[in-house]
Amino acid sequence: MFTKLYAATWGEVGKAKEKGFFDFDLFSWMAWTWQTAAFFIFIVLCITAMLIWEKKVPGGSPRKGILGLDTTRGDRLFISLLGSAFIHLFWLALIGSILWVATIICIGYAIVVFRYV
Amino acid sequence: MNKTINQKAWYFVIPVFVLVAFNAAIPLMTVVNYSFQETFGNNVFAWEGTRWFKQILLSDRFHAALGRQFAFTFIILLIQIPLGIAIALTMPKKGWGVPVCLILMSMPLLIPWNVVGAMWNIFALPDIGFLGHTLNSVGFDYNFTQQPGDAWFTTILMDVWHWTSLVVLLSYAGLNSIQPAYYQAAEIDGASRWATFRYIELPKMKKVLTLAILLRFMDSFMIYTEPFVLTGGGPGNTTAFLSIDLVKMALGQFDLGPAAAMSLIYFFIVLLVCWVFYNLMMKNEAQS
Repeated sequence: MFTKLYAATWGEVGKAKEKGFFDFDLFSWMAWTWQTAAFFIFIVLCITAMLIWEKKVPGGSPRKGILGLDTTRGDRLFISLLGSAFIHLFWLALIGSILWVATIICIGYAIVVFRYV
Repeated sequence: MNKTINQKAWYFVIPVFVLVAFNAAIPLMTVVNYSFQETFGNNVFAWEGTRWFKQILLSDRFHAALGRQFAFTFIILLIQIPLGIAIALTMPKKGWGVPVCLILMSMPLLIPWNVVGAMWNIFALPDIGFLGHTLNSVGFDYNFTQQPGDAWFTTILMDVWHWTSLVVLLSYAGLNSIQPAYYQAAEIDGASRWATFRYIELPKMKKVLTLAILLRFMDSFMIYTEPFVLTGGGPGNTTAFLSIDLVKMALGQFDLGPAAAMSLIYFFIVLLVCWVFYNLMMKNEAQS
């Protein structure tokens, strides 16, 4: 319980760190960082938003989009997220820096997907 | 009449939810966490940002493994799907031959994967294995432990032996569900054997074939055990498919960060292909 944990940045490697409030032994092996935690919180928020949307406008608004696929809201969220993953990967492979530009492209992509696919 | 709304059934989903959380969600989250960090073990982690993703995406090693993986999957699909349909077409439709064929066909599917690898390893050994020895004694210079071409040949042959039955069984089920009336109509019109196949049997098998291609794609794309036991990825790296390369990186070199990044990229490719096939299947479903 009271063993010392170690640092999470290069500057602090090797130095002992006081056990923080969130350093449960149960979770420390998962190596959480605030960035990845924020990402998963975003995903959870997306799903929650979809649930609320479904409550407000039930049925998932199915339609045949420009790809010729029968999609519902959930499908469109999935296409947006998976597509965003690939956009980010291609951006990293081809350009490499200023990743936030890829994120902006993804937001545009998601809007197009939700509007037309 | 008013229906009472009772959502208590959702509580029955909790066990599955917990199970999936522990065997899928939590490990996957951990992989995501690892993919952005460097570690030397002992729970010491340091933030690296997108470095591993960049490194993997630009590495020749990953490109080579991905290329090998797609080549392997493409080749086995190209062999197994037509071969499976052909075998299913020649299988008897009634009589004692049906159970005999079905049981013979299912046998390779029942053998554990590492046993398949070990069997083929011994079978193909150039000095004592039946296949290897025979090939060498009739004049082929065959040695799957040293020649990349032979290693590929053996791996593909093994996969065809192991999994063509699955395509056969699915196609056979598809063929059996065709009503005799279609064949009678074809006969009245004087359709040739090819026309019957092209315009009756193949469209009727579309659903099961999509499923067969999806299953075979996924299984071969994630193949690990059989080539690991047969060739261990060798000679050199010539049969190191994606999963073999991934395990080498994660456990052999203990490069957890790059390995995590690579598994996420791998996962996205698998997810994309699954999604495409799922939509194709749903389209087939909607048409029929």
